[in-house]
Amino acid sequence: MDHLTPATRLSSDEIFVVLKQFITEVIGAEFADGLDISKDSTFTRDLEMDSIELVAFSEKVKQHFGTGIDFTGWLSNMDIDQLIALNLNNIIQYIQQCQ
Amino acid sequence: MAKFLFVVPPFFGHISPTLSVGATLLQRGHKVVWTGLQPLAPHHIPEGGVWITPEEELAPHREAIARVLKRQDDGPNISGAEALKLALEETYAPFCRWMMPGVSRIADNFQPDVIVSDCITWAGAICAYSKGIPYATTTPVPPGIVGEEMLETPKINAWQNALITGLQQEFGIYTDAHIVNSPQLNIVFTSAEFAGCTKPPPHMQFTGPVKGRPNNAPFDWDKLAAMPSPKVYASIGTLLVNIRKEFFSKLVTAFGNTPVTIVAATHPGIMEEWPSNFIVQDFVPQSAVMAQMDAVICHGGFNTVNDTFLHGLPMIITPIAYDQFHTASLIERAGCGIKLRYKRLRIPDLQQALHNVLHNPQYRLAAQRIRETYINAGGNDAAVFHLEQFAAANKTSTHLTNANSHI
Repeated sequence: MDHLTPATRLSSDEIFVVLKQFITEVIGAEFADGLDISKDSTFTRDLEMDSIELVAFSEKVKQHFGTGIDFTGWLSNMDIDQLIALNLNNIIQYIQQCQ
Repeated sequence: MAKFLFVVPPFFGHISPTLSVGATLLQRGHKVVWTGLQPLAPHHIPEGGVWITPEEELAPHREAIARVLKRQDDGPNISGAEALKLALEETYAPFCRWMMPGVSRIADNFQPDVIVSDCITWAGAICAYSKGIPYATTTPVPPGIVGEEMLETPKINAWQNALITGLQQEFGIYTDAHIVNSPQLNIVFTSAEFAGCTKPPPHMQFTGPVKGRPNNAPFDWDKLAAMPSPKVYASIGTLLVNIRKEFFSKLVTAFGNTPVTIVAATHPGIMEEWPSNFIVQDFVPQSAVMAQMDAVICHGGFNTVNDTFLHGLPMIITPIAYDQFHTASLIERAGCGIKLRYKRLRIPDLQQALHNVLHNPQYRLAAQRIRETYINAGGNDAAVFHLEQFAAANKTSTHLTNANSHI
């Protein structure tokens, strides 16, 4: 029961691959293929995700990375500029912090 | 007889219903003045009405105004959160500051009994509040502007609150209450049922759409009659010029040379060639055309949505920007149409959606239910009734209020 040093601590790149897959599932492959999804991609502007897609995405993140990650709560603490600027890097860092 | 001063933004969708209501007020012997940031073509102004653009007060801001108006074209390319910032910080708040001196002078000269301020031209409300003039609000779309396009968080709500109370304070109004929309009378040009307001507060009066601006654009009715059914009207309104070609290209891909007739409201020049089952015309007599249609495809601009409901037609709604997302959600909730977000518009989904709205009678039945609520809401007569009542009620109480304010 040692949570401090989990054996499965994921690297930034490993998390990115998973997140990219979730984004593709949520917005559809035909739209994801047309986007150059990178760690710098912003969710609202670059990926054009609306609140329904963001919530669907956050559900997937929660299921995959564990219920200890309060992704929705983290999002709901943001102000408008943080929400506009939110990119994959922010989420990768958040997940790493929670691991 | 009473005097009404309408304060409106430079967006025709907001101006249009006030012209209809103003025309009815004028016919009933009232005096009506409009003021806005941009001159309005004289043929739009109802007979006997006066439009005043306070050029002198606006002169220092002309460049900035032009910049803000140009910025509105960005709507389809920015996120919902950015659009909200654009609306509140870059549009409504500066509009208010720029309009205030002119509105104030016009109010002093005209001495209106009631100022009727559009829901986004806060200068009308703030000016009325400061001068102790009774004021009402007109709201052209269902209240609630954010919709599903963006997440709403407590901090975003707090930011909106602070922006409005801060603006009020700039003009010496120190209250936590938002007075930029009238707490006494807010006329909404849709039905409470469609807006999803089951128990609206007493100052919210849902009158449904108002009429009075006939559209006599020519149209080839014989050609339309000769085309096969089902017939579908497609429009993304008069704005959104930049994405017009992309939008109609999708419709051509989905429905070109299929057994359906599409009346496309756009300039034919955006495409080199149109399929033979498309009738393409820039300015159409929209309401008369809809009387011949089986369904409508639109982006959720409220003028087209209202016309669609008044004809009890099912619709496909492809929201692109701004309040269109909220309208689209309401349409889906009311069961009278299918929402396809423009940024995720797939051709097979479009084809399937049209098949559904044409062949599943539930959509048409739901649209006809909304049509009933629109007709029952009362339109022009209801809007004028509320404004007259409001003017009369405040005329008798104004002296008391003024007397009390010295205590």
